[in-house]
Amino acid sequence: MGAIETVLKWFSDPSHWRGADGIPTRLLEHVQLSAESVAIGAVIALPIGIALGHYGKLGNLAINVSNVGRALPSFGILVIAFQVFGLGDLPIIVALTALAIPPMVTNSYVGLREVDPDIKDAARGMGYRELAQLLRVEIPLAVPLLMAGIRTSAVQVVATATLAALIAGGGLGRYIIDGLAQFDYTKLFAGALLVALLALATEVSLAGVERLLTPRGIRLMHVRASRRAAQFKTA
Amino acid sequence: MNGKLNSVRVFAALAAIALAAVACGSTSAPASSSKGNITIAGFAFSEGSVLAELYGQALQHDGYNVTFKLNLGSREVVAPAIQSKAIDLYIGYAATDLEYYNKSAGEANGDVTATTAKLNSHLQSLGLVALTPSAAVDQNAFAVTKATAEKYNLTKLSDLAPVAGQLVLGAGPECPTRPYCKPGLESVYGLHFKSFKALDTDGSLTRAAFKNGSIDVGLVFSSDGDLNSLGLVVLQDDKHLEAADNVVPILRQAVASDEVKNVLNAVSGKLTTADLVQMNSQVQLNHQDPDAVTKVWLQQHVWSS
Repeated sequence: MGAIETVLKWFSDPSHWRGADGIPTRLLEHVQLSAESVAIGAVIALPIGIALGHYGKLGNLAINVSNVGRALPSFGILVIAFQVFGLGDLPIIVALTALAIPPMVTNSYVGLREVDPDIKDAARGMGYRELAQLLRVEIPLAVPLLMAGIRTSAVQVVATATLAALIAGGGLGRYIIDGLAQFDYTKLFAGALLVALLALATEVSLAGVERLLTPRGIRLMHVRASRRAAQFKTA
Repeated sequence: MNGKLNSVRVFAALAAIALAAVACGSTSAPASSSKGNITIAGFAFSEGSVLAELYGQALQHDGYNVTFKLNLGSREVVAPAIQSKAIDLYIGYAATDLEYYNKSAGEANGDVTATTAKLNSHLQSLGLVALTPSAAVDQNAFAVTKATAEKYNLTKLSDLAPVAGQLVLGAGPECPTRPYCKPGLESVYGLHFKSFKALDTDGSLTRAAFKNGSIDVGLVFSSDGDLNSLGLVVLQDDKHLEAADNVVPILRQAVASDEVKNVLNAVSGKLTTADLVQMNSQVQLNHQDPDAVTKVWLQQHVWSS
């Protein structure tokens, strides 16, 4: 009981909500680092995964390479990137981008591979050129898996961005590292709690984005038959 | 691949290690001219070896038969060793040794004479004695780059007062809660920095931050060997915020003859922090042997006069 009270007291202290070490600033730093890393990762990973899935070639290579990528410890990459780039946000973004790429490559590859060949044939029969078929048929159908890849990456990156504080970066990890150094375990726990909440929020909000982006046809396929019938009646 | 060849290699390697161990085991003066045996220990860090060689060679030069136990361990190993008479002498640091022997009672302060007197009051009953401390000191210190020092005309910490509001302080993440760090700078010197950047305690993050200019003032140790090569200037602690960790020989009363004391005091009297930085730099950065580096210093400063 006592522990929960001290954490609540920490959160209700107005001095923890303002200034360079306040929760809003640290949260913004954390979100910014994570968003930049996932965005850069997506720009690299999605075209690779989509192209490989579309052509159906080198798929095993892509999946194996990105599996090896998953085995690389982010902390190791962070330390090496710090040696190369020095102090600042760059080494952190390099390490987090490397973490973000593999799930997006694998999921987008699988998503594109799993598009029903009959549908592709139909698109071709209706006169779609290859690019139009990819953009207007295959990618929309692969949205659930593409988004699952982005969601997995984003949650991992948000959780791992705490490492930034180890090389003097900002973000919510600051509370964990500083709390440890100052024997302030309330601050440490509050930091861990904030990171967990942010990861959950990322998961939930990206699931919402996924629902919005999923084409209506696929959404209907997942709705139970009885409800589907009801919808048709009202339509 | 080849069993026989491998075993030959292993034997050769073992023989080499054994030879090296014999060669490194101990250095001692010719026994014929010996005035007595003294065993000196060094802490298990680079400066510990430098200091042990410095004082040990001075005794050797005076005709004592000196056994070196370099890299013996931390104070938790060295202090029990001198109490059990396994060693006769080690080169300690006034404030840290006081806080070890008084079990962290917090008696050490910025006054080196008072701190050493307190240290001796704790050593007395253990049959030990601390000699006069040297001016050379290895303690927490705040450094700025040469460019910053020239720009604001800084030589001591109190010079920072008018400009602190424009400067960024960098130190380990524990700094905002430790009396020797941010709170002390505020209460003793009235320094309120523009902001604080959490780095590490005198490690690679602090160096990187000085290099890319993200901090202006950083916490270092006053005798770090790389201060000169990094272009850092230590600001003098003119109001004695930091506990006085001056270099001080600590020895058993049984071996503390007047002659031994004179030899050790002669070294302490000549040694400065700048000398220590210089020797640490030769050992740590240029990978020279501590015994060679300290011999050159002794020839220049003690044996020549």
